[in-house]
Amino acid sequence: MFAMPVDTKRIQGPEVSVPYDQFLAQQSQQSNEEAIGKERIDGRKSDELREIFLKTAVLSQAKGSAYIEMNNTKVICSVFDPREIPRKSEFSVNGELFCEFKYAPFSCRRKRGHQQDSEEKEMSAYLKRALEPAVCRHEFPNLQVDVYALVLENDGSALAAAITCAGLALADASIPMFDLVVAVQMGISITGKKFLDPTLEEEAYCFTLSGSDEKGSFGRVTAAFLPSLEQFSQVVQDGSMVTETYVEVLKELAHASKDAYRLSQECLLKAVQTSKEIKNAEQKN
Amino acid sequence: MALQYKTIHPVKYLRDFLAHNVRPDGRGLLKFRPMALNVRSISSADGSALVKIGNTSVICGIKAELATPKAEEPDRGFIVPNVELSPLSSSKFRPGPPSEEAQVASQFVFDVILNSGCIDTKCLCIVPDKLAWVLYCDLVCLNYDGSVLDACILALMAALNTVSLPEVEYDHEKSTTTVKTERVPLKILSMPVSTTHAIFDDEVLLADPTCEEEDLASGTITVVVSEGKLCSVWKPGGSPLTESQMDGCVDRAKNRVSSVLDLINTALKSSS
Amino acid sequence: MAAMAEDQHVLRKMFCEFDVLSCPDGSAMKYRNRSCLRPNKLIIDKACVEAVYRPKVGQPRVADKTKEKMIGNTCSSAILSTLYPRTSVSIILQEMQNSGGLMACAINAAYLALIRSGIAMKFLVAAVTCGITKDDKVILDPDLNKVKDCHTELMFAFDSIDFNIVAVDSSGQYTEEQYQKALSLCKEASNEIFDFYRNLVKKYACCI
Repeated sequence: MFAMPVDTKRIQGPEVSVPYDQFLAQQSQQSNEEAIGKERIDGRKSDELREIFLKTAVLSQAKGSAYIEMNNTKVICSVFDPREIPRKSEFSVNGELFCEFKYAPFSCRRKRGHQQDSEEKEMSAYLKRALEPAVCRHEFPNLQVDVYALVLENDGSALAAAITCAGLALADASIPMFDLVVAVQMGISITGKKFLDPTLEEEAYCFTLSGSDEKGSFGRVTAAFLPSLEQFSQVVQDGSMVTETYVEVLKELAHASKDAYRLSQECLLKAVQTSKEIKNAEQKN
Repeated sequence: MALQYKTIHPVKYLRDFLAHNVRPDGRGLLKFRPMALNVRSISSADGSALVKIGNTSVICGIKAELATPKAEEPDRGFIVPNVELSPLSSSKFRPGPPSEEAQVASQFVFDVILNSGCIDTKCLCIVPDKLAWVLYCDLVCLNYDGSVLDACILALMAALNTVSLPEVEYDHEKSTTTVKTERVPLKILSMPVSTTHAIFDDEVLLADPTCEEEDLASGTITVVVSEGKLCSVWKPGGSPLTESQMDGCVDRAKNRVSSVLDLINTALKSSS
Repeated sequence: MAAMAEDQHVLRKMFCEFDVLSCPDGSAMKYRNRSCLRPNKLIIDKACVEAVYRPKVGQPRVADKTKEKMIGNTCSSAILSTLYPRTSVSIILQEMQNSGGLMACAINAAYLALIRSGIAMKFLVAAVTCGITKDDKVILDPDLNKVKDCHTELMFAFDSIDFNIVAVDSSGQYTEEQYQKALSLCKEASNEIFDFYRNLVKKYACCI
């Protein structure tokens, strides 16, 4: 047995602790699974997004920031001024994006660790790749822009929310961009049911293979879309999918992201208007 | 013009304001910033609260788990508070292990819990020597704009008040655990309230300093009051203060308690 | 080595040796001090003062960082740091034995080391611990046996000019009255420590 290295920089609890929900009387899960198979629990249509709340300039210490809430999925993003790329000697023509995606320790059903785990590192890489094509990186050579995304609560589609939120935060930070970035996720269950913008339960349902033939499509796809350029900047897919289904899903995602795009635009417009009003009021005074 | 002046000579900029008994954000020297509190904001946590003091915001989420009590304290549960000064909150912080400041803040919060006795860890024990609750209290700073310790204590206390733990049955013979659906609210024994002052130019006291003011200050002092008693006076070095200045800090800390407790109570009432 | 004083209003006997690195007054300390250039923490117009605190056993933990901050800040408030631009003053403390009043001892040891190193300072600082017992008595400098009777421990550090308060640390709950009582008692006792400093300097002046 290896002893776990003790984190001396944090206050330590007991060596082992277990979440209590595994001792709960197990009855609700089965019935839930059946319910999802029939229709969506929150009463949405299969191609309907959750209500999205967006707000920019939520944090004063960051150059740009944004907050997104899709029912119980809550993500906050901040973007900082370009700074010199640390530990780099050669000239780089394009500026760099540094992206960090993190789940807050209390954001998921299970407690998350404080250090970035492999899933979070993977998500950070996806976030970076989704944002990079939208940013005019040639405008800040040799510099780096830091983008931090923190998931406060995860109820499905956290990556999609983080990408949309980070896109808005970049815009709020006045970083030159070719286009906004919006991302939407879709889940497909083995029964052929599609869930646009799935919740955590629906995500889990898409990966239950019970009682089905192995040939069907299942899994989830997250697509980041540059709406006015009509281009995908990043598509993340897990599970397995028949080619035709995959193409179909991408089309539907592109269509769905138009709605999210409209909301992002409105949010930015509103932010500009309010800042203008404040300026006018100041001038009058 | 003001912005350039501030960048080139930040100390003088602040001094000019203070000479007129006003601070850059328009407050008087000993005035506190407005506070806002939202509780039960995170449904995946067992207790949560989001606090804003001026622009400073801290979110606290509490996760409860089960563990075996320590052999030397078989009748006690655990509280594990950790403050995270996330790189999201300020350009001062970088990703990676907690900075020295974050560690000091975590220890401060831990000490306040211990000193104020706001939670009796004996209440967290379910079966002595076998089963006890662990409360992981994670405080994440979202916006770092001064007086973070005050915000942390406020967020923690508000979040602890929203915690309710399910009832647990333990079978001694089979040593199995069953968690029931009924929940019991956590017993909070006292409500500590923290108040920070910054010392500028060795003599001027500024209540509830912003990040700018803290950076230029020559010291800070944090006083925690709980149920009319002091449970921490913490002045980690910095400029020396006279006794009357210290007493002023303690008095203001005492006077602030009722407004903070009102805020917590209102937030709790409106959410339940 | 350290005789325990029986009277409740008397500090325990202090002992200090320079260079050999020991200063037990029950809690023994070894200290060392050095000045050097540290490019990563360089401040252009003044010195950077940092404290490193090593516990008796094991790795330094979160609680030790808080001690470091307390000691480091308390020392940097006195050091005329603008006289030493682009320098770093590291104060390294190794806990050797803790029989109560550790924090105060650490601060006093750090100041003695600063005196020895000849760094220019605005004033000296003396730290005193006191405890409040369950029957509401304030006792000065409690040792480990007496700490058990105390529900509260307070540590004050005073400067040598106006006897103003440089640092305060506390554990436990106490009323404002008790706080005032403890403060005045510690303030009086700090004189004794300043005398101790003076005598030491006198004693070592010839060989320094």
